[in-house]
Amino acid sequence: MRRWLVILLLFTGFAFAQDSLKVGFIYVGPIGDAGWTYAHDLGRLATMAALPSIETVIVESVAEADIEPFIDQLVADGVQVIFATSFGYGDGVLAAAARYPDIIFAHATGIQRAPNVMTYIADFYQVYYLNGLIAGALTESNELGYVAAFPIPEVKRHINAFALGAREVNPEAIVEVRWLFSWFDPAGAKEATEALIAEGADVFAFTEDTPTVIQTAAERGFPSYSHYASMYEFSPDTVVSGQIVNWEAIYIDFLQGVLDGTYTNENLSDLDYFWRLGEDSVSAGAAPGMVINPVYEDQLRAAVLDHPEFGEISVYDLVFARIEQMSMTEPAYEPFTGPLSDRKGNVVYEEGQVATIPELLGLQWAAANVVGPWPEEP
Amino acid sequence: MLERFGIRLVPRLAAPAYVVFLISLGAIIAAIIVTGFIFWAYGVNPFSAYAIIAERTLFNGRGFSEVVRKSVPLLLAGVGLVLAFRAQFWNIGAEGQILAGAVGASGVALFVPLPPPLAIPAMFLAGFIAGALWGFLPAILKIRLGVNEIITTLMMNYIALYIVRWLINGPWKGESVVGFSYSDLFDRAIWLPTIGTTRLHWPTLLLGLLLAAFIAFLINRMRLGFEVRMIGEGPAAARYAGVNFLTTTLILVSLAAGAAGLAGVGEVAGIHHRLVEPNSISLGFGYTAIIVALLARGSPLAAILTALFMGWVFASGDVMKVALRLPFQITGVINGLVLLFIICSEPLLRYRIERIGSRASAVESETGPA
Repeated sequence: MRRWLVILLLFTGFAFAQDSLKVGFIYVGPIGDAGWTYAHDLGRLATMAALPSIETVIVESVAEADIEPFIDQLVADGVQVIFATSFGYGDGVLAAAARYPDIIFAHATGIQRAPNVMTYIADFYQVYYLNGLIAGALTESNELGYVAAFPIPEVKRHINAFALGAREVNPEAIVEVRWLFSWFDPAGAKEATEALIAEGADVFAFTEDTPTVIQTAAERGFPSYSHYASMYEFSPDTVVSGQIVNWEAIYIDFLQGVLDGTYTNENLSDLDYFWRLGEDSVSAGAAPGMVINPVYEDQLRAAVLDHPEFGEISVYDLVFARIEQMSMTEPAYEPFTGPLSDRKGNVVYEEGQVATIPELLGLQWAAANVVGPWPEEP
Repeated sequence: MLERFGIRLVPRLAAPAYVVFLISLGAIIAAIIVTGFIFWAYGVNPFSAYAIIAERTLFNGRGFSEVVRKSVPLLLAGVGLVLAFRAQFWNIGAEGQILAGAVGASGVALFVPLPPPLAIPAMFLAGFIAGALWGFLPAILKIRLGVNEIITTLMMNYIALYIVRWLINGPWKGESVVGFSYSDLFDRAIWLPTIGTTRLHWPTLLLGLLLAAFIAFLINRMRLGFEVRMIGEGPAAARYAGVNFLTTTLILVSLAAGAAGLAGVGEVAGIHHRLVEPNSISLGFGYTAIIVALLARGSPLAAILTALFMGWVFASGDVMKVALRLPFQITGVINGLVLLFIICSEPLLRYRIERIGSRASAVESETGPA
């Protein structure tokens, strides 16, 4: 009798296994990058904990133009949902989606959708604005360094948001930009940071998937920011704040929808997650829960300015006031609000005009206090 | 030293073809065995690992098409390198020549309105010429000024890389790509045809096979090929015999670099259908082609086999990543091991191993360095 029970249990176990959703993640970098890919993988682990009925398969360091054979293999392994976590996977994802109409695809930072392809991004521009506020208060040389990956709208939007934040508390602050033309280039990031130090920059933000900028700036004691995941432990005395992503917010929401049948391989054409502070998909901080590193707290509390909206306020309090405003689902404050001119003097937004999401997604102009080459400047 | 083990090395003039084949095969097998130990160290059973790899790369239609697809650029660039290496022209610049070819083809695809039946040959022609020009400069610098071609061809790779980057961020940046860095898509009519739903663009494959046959004929049967071999094996004799170094070198290097250019055409016109980041156009094919050429030991036809083998290594690396969860660096490790064993096996082509005391060795030992 007991034996039969065991066999029965085994069979129901198999039946459950059949029911589980197999999800594949394709990463552009190594999980050990401590940044972009690592953050996606943390999101995956949190998603697995929240949704016990899913099973995941990962592939790391897949070259952008070479994604198709990996999709073939994942499909051969029985994967039903595939997350492709880099913009450059777009062409390959769309081609594979046409070939595998039964498979559901999700393309991070993508712009083109299909019935079985949705796009998603957890966007940082509000957080970069907050980081800019801090940078404007901390700089002594009034020169901020920004080590940037590719001159694409996403990165330009982040640099501008950072520059706008810095200018809000320090009208003298300028942002010097260096481009790497790579998402993952520790050697290039080190060189760029050293060049920026030589030019006088003393606070460093970046878009690159490793903690290299933090480590290079820390050799001289200059503050910098966590990017994507917590990089606090790489330099606990100099990581002042940063951009932390919570990809699981999107992953859980979407996979829940797939599990309960809301999202299928036929209705994703209009599904685009553009999630920000309001949806908890991103947060500001050197590490989760540490918005501002205590090492810098006194300095930021002492930096008091006369703010047009809040009156007499310290930068420390300003950061938290802005977080509160922007954490609403309909944000009460938008960093890209007019009057705004680009660095060539053209008016981008009139007094009181607010940037729309499509405008932010295609942003090409450079903020007035941004210095350095800017490909495709309008 | 070796005598202690009862053997010694005896030089030989030329190793027979079957010996070359067996030694090369031995190098590959040694690399595969050592890789097996790496699998084992990662807790993966090497036998089941190779079984999975074989199943997914050799006994699966789509999988095998990926092996061949990855071997196409390796074949074109590799055959070119075989020719260049025969003349002792150490071209390390196939990577840049591939990129130059990709630029040439993209220029035609994006800006020259031609009917498709003309556009595809025009892309290949433009890619060949662009690749050839990229090899031309180091060749003329070597012959006229004695500049080391290893340095110049290597440096030209970086120039090509930055030119591609400049093009996709500047003048050739697509209008439909909302600020991202690549060109517009080529017109669908001029995409290279593929076999079924695979990504194997057969016109480039066909070109590779034809080129291998042509270069084999050139080396073995044509006057130019004879001059190439003379320049490589006895430059002083070649000069004395009146071989025109300038013309011969320029022709052979242009042909070799042009072949790599054709590989670049295949990648943009057959796979990406637009000019993209240089590191996406070529996944280091130009450098791996050096292994293809070395492993082929100077034979263009053998390069067909060695290109397939290296294509298989690339495709296997993909399988290992997905099915075996091995780190992505494993492909690089296998590439390195193959190269290492080829270089280590080099002396075996020039020396025979003999047991001391055997009769044949007694005669030759007078001249042998042992």
